[in-house]
Amino acid sequence: MSKRPEKKKNFNGLEISDKDILEAMKDIPGYIDITTGDFKELYRLASRHSLKRITQSIKAGDIMTVEVIAVKRKTPLKEVAKLMAEQGVSGVPVIEEDRKVAGIISENDFLTRMGAGDTKTFMGIVAKCLKGKACVALSIRAKNAEDIMTSPAVSVNEETTLLEITNIFKERKINRVPVVDSKGYLTGIVSREDIVEAPFFKRDILS
Amino acid sequence: MIKDYFNKMKGTSKSPPAVSLSEIGWSWIGAFLGIAAVAYINFNRIEDTDMVMIIGSFGASAVLIYGAIKSPLAQPRNLIGGHVFSAIIGVASYQIFNSHMWLASSVAVATAIAFMHATKTLHPPGGATALIAVIGSEKIHGLGYLYAIVPVGLGAVIMLVVALLVNNITKTRKYPEFWF
Repeated sequence: MSKRPEKKKNFNGLEISDKDILEAMKDIPGYIDITTGDFKELYRLASRHSLKRITQSIKAGDIMTVEVIAVKRKTPLKEVAKLMAEQGVSGVPVIEEDRKVAGIISENDFLTRMGAGDTKTFMGIVAKCLKGKACVALSIRAKNAEDIMTSPAVSVNEETTLLEITNIFKERKINRVPVVDSKGYLTGIVSREDIVEAPFFKRDILS
Repeated sequence: MIKDYFNKMKGTSKSPPAVSLSEIGWSWIGAFLGIAAVAYINFNRIEDTDMVMIIGSFGASAVLIYGAIKSPLAQPRNLIGGHVFSAIIGVASYQIFNSHMWLASSVAVATAIAFMHATKTLHPPGGATALIAVIGSEKIHGLGYLYAIVPVGLGAVIMLVVALLVNNITKTRKYPEFWF
């Protein structure tokens, strides 16, 4: 499997040109005792600080989905799959009877057990099928949620910052984390989608 | 590495834009009134005494407090602190090292800059104030540490009062940005 190309550049703040700065300086009457270069450097560093402040001020509790679609340990996989399909989610927490988080099931957990191999993608399954190898889900037909769930699940609490959550997503290569209270009871879930949909990132932030 | 060193000398940034005509006009008026105040006292009120009211570094202060009023270097803390601290350092340097004038001069200015930095009172004319304490006239030398109060401290205060009065007349100007 070939490695994905690195395509993201480091974030350096919104690009700003000498011309922008000179125009802005003209908007302020009086002699401005700073060069455009110094201003640019200040702007770059200040925007990095503000980004850090913003990502640290938003907490899991602010963006999590409260109505969590979850399954029980003994929920049959065919029901889990049906639920995920109906609800349009790519992962669900598995909870104990008392709502403590036991683990989490994602599409990946299904894929790996259905012969997708290391790629853990839908296309991995297609590729195997086309090669004529066994690829059906029958092997897991009779199993329950607890048999394929990832356990223990990586979880966060309501005070975990957005910055930490995005780092967890990146480092663990996961797409959602259950949010639990101090006793381990499920209170919500934060998915990648919740971050994109966070009120803070609405378009009208600029106006 | 040598290449990097010389590349730094090229300069990479741009000069700030020119100011408006009204800004030029108000800079002139402020500087005229500020210098007029200290110069009038010096030449018409205390000429026959041992006192001095004006020193060369006030011309440099005028550039900042009437011409670049937003600059951190031009704020009251810097104006008063920079002048008074530098004056004391200049007098001390003269009194200690006056047998080697080159040393008294350089110690005075270098120490004044370091002290102004450390106390967040950096005011470029302070360097001149320290130097004048060393290379100034016998009249200046005769003042001893009084030099830090009159002409330096009092002169700076008079110029500050003029700056407060003149720099706040128009809508587009305001002074100071901060006091301390």
